[in-house]
Amino acid sequence: MATTMQDEGKQTPVIELRDVDKHYGDLHVLKNINLEVDKGEVLVIIGPSGSGKSTLCRTINRLETIDSGQILIEGKPLPQEGKELAAMRAELGMVFQQFNLFAHMSILDNVTIGPIDVLGVPKEKAQAEAMELLKRVGVAEQASKVPAQLSGGQQQRVAIARSLAMHPKAMLFDEPTSALDPEMINEVLDVMVELARQGMTMIVVTHEMSFARRVADRVVFMADGQIVEEGAPDEFFDHPKSERAKEFLESISGH
Amino acid sequence: MGFAELWKTYGGDYLVALLTTWQLTAISFVFVMILSVLVTVMRVCPIKPLRVVGDVYVQIFRNIPGVSLLIICVYALPFLKVLLDYRTCVIVTTILLGSAFGSENFMSGINTIGVGQIEAARSLGLTFTQILRKIVIPQALRSAVLPMTNLLIAVMLTTALGSQVPLSPPELTGLVSVINTQVSGGITTFFISALGYALSALAIGYVGNAIDKRVRILR
Repeated sequence: MATTMQDEGKQTPVIELRDVDKHYGDLHVLKNINLEVDKGEVLVIIGPSGSGKSTLCRTINRLETIDSGQILIEGKPLPQEGKELAAMRAELGMVFQQFNLFAHMSILDNVTIGPIDVLGVPKEKAQAEAMELLKRVGVAEQASKVPAQLSGGQQQRVAIARSLAMHPKAMLFDEPTSALDPEMINEVLDVMVELARQGMTMIVVTHEMSFARRVADRVVFMADGQIVEEGAPDEFFDHPKSERAKEFLESISGH
Repeated sequence: MGFAELWKTYGGDYLVALLTTWQLTAISFVFVMILSVLVTVMRVCPIKPLRVVGDVYVQIFRNIPGVSLLIICVYALPFLKVLLDYRTCVIVTTILLGSAFGSENFMSGINTIGVGQIEAARSLGLTFTQILRKIVIPQALRSAVLPMTNLLIAVMLTTALGSQVPLSPPELTGLVSVINTQVSGGITTFFISALGYALSALAIGYVGNAIDKRVRILR
């Protein structure tokens, strides 16, 4: 019903959350979250740890369930379970803090398993495309190795390639650089900057403020399970409106 | 009767018994592995009643002594109109016992995989059965090689239950009883059988280690 009420000319958001609430027992982790992400938009979510930003990111492909509210992907509600949910997940890329590559498979197989087993792409075609993607993220020489033989930064770039191989409508990044050694953070961020430049719709949960400033179309600041403030990056970083955001920005500007 | 004389008289029987033990072991172990996988899949599947059945299966057969299970097979099953010959009873007992432990081995293999890889697989849109087939089972199998090697040895030793029922030809332990009722071999009769078990176990361990080295997953 609500979708039919949308303004003429405004396209349906790729991702939309309406009045989303979630509890972990007594803990109210998401409080009345409303959010829209348009096609090609890069949304960066920042906030102190425990603010619910990772949980928010994970509800979007239902790795976390929600108590109430609605999540819409291109205007369609997220399916509850089963084949429909799997099909919807296939359309959203997800990159994790811990990379989560399949430990028993070669790098190449990690990237081709989605296209071959979910999308039914013929093996040769999937492999050719996977090699292209691995080249794009700079790890093509590692294709025959297994994940444990790669550095963290390389593994995370493979994880991005694995998601890209599904031609997702949007990509979710859940603290993609938080588990990396400092010298490897930039190699991953560079890949993400490039993706953003090419028009990928992205939600990025991160602590990398320079990345947020440089790449984000919009910054969302979360604290205690709520969206406290959102706005264009320059405005948010230079003139935060809420006390909570000011405190947070001050606490991290020390280093 | 000394070692040399025993071996001269019964050497052929020992070899036949060793082969019988191997045969019982091999047949049992094949089914142990199949059943272990099935029970483990039940224990991790999203359907609760199946999970319960799998857990109960393991708790029952892991916690009953082999001899009791064998007695049930031989004496109780006929009341349910299930009549198995002695050899089959020994094999069935070994399979029930072994698969309960085998499933535990797979479960600990699955626990090493970590929820992250499963979440990544779900995010790609893989279905439950695909995740099981492509991600979970291959890794559980590969990280369970050493425990399964131990289980194979345990299965071999469990086939000694065959000594409690009349088998022909008898397996290694049964042969000891047969010989000791005919001549006074004493402990030496046991010793030769024990040697058969020990050498087999060594060979199994060696092969198991070699396989593990090849398939072990780097982490």
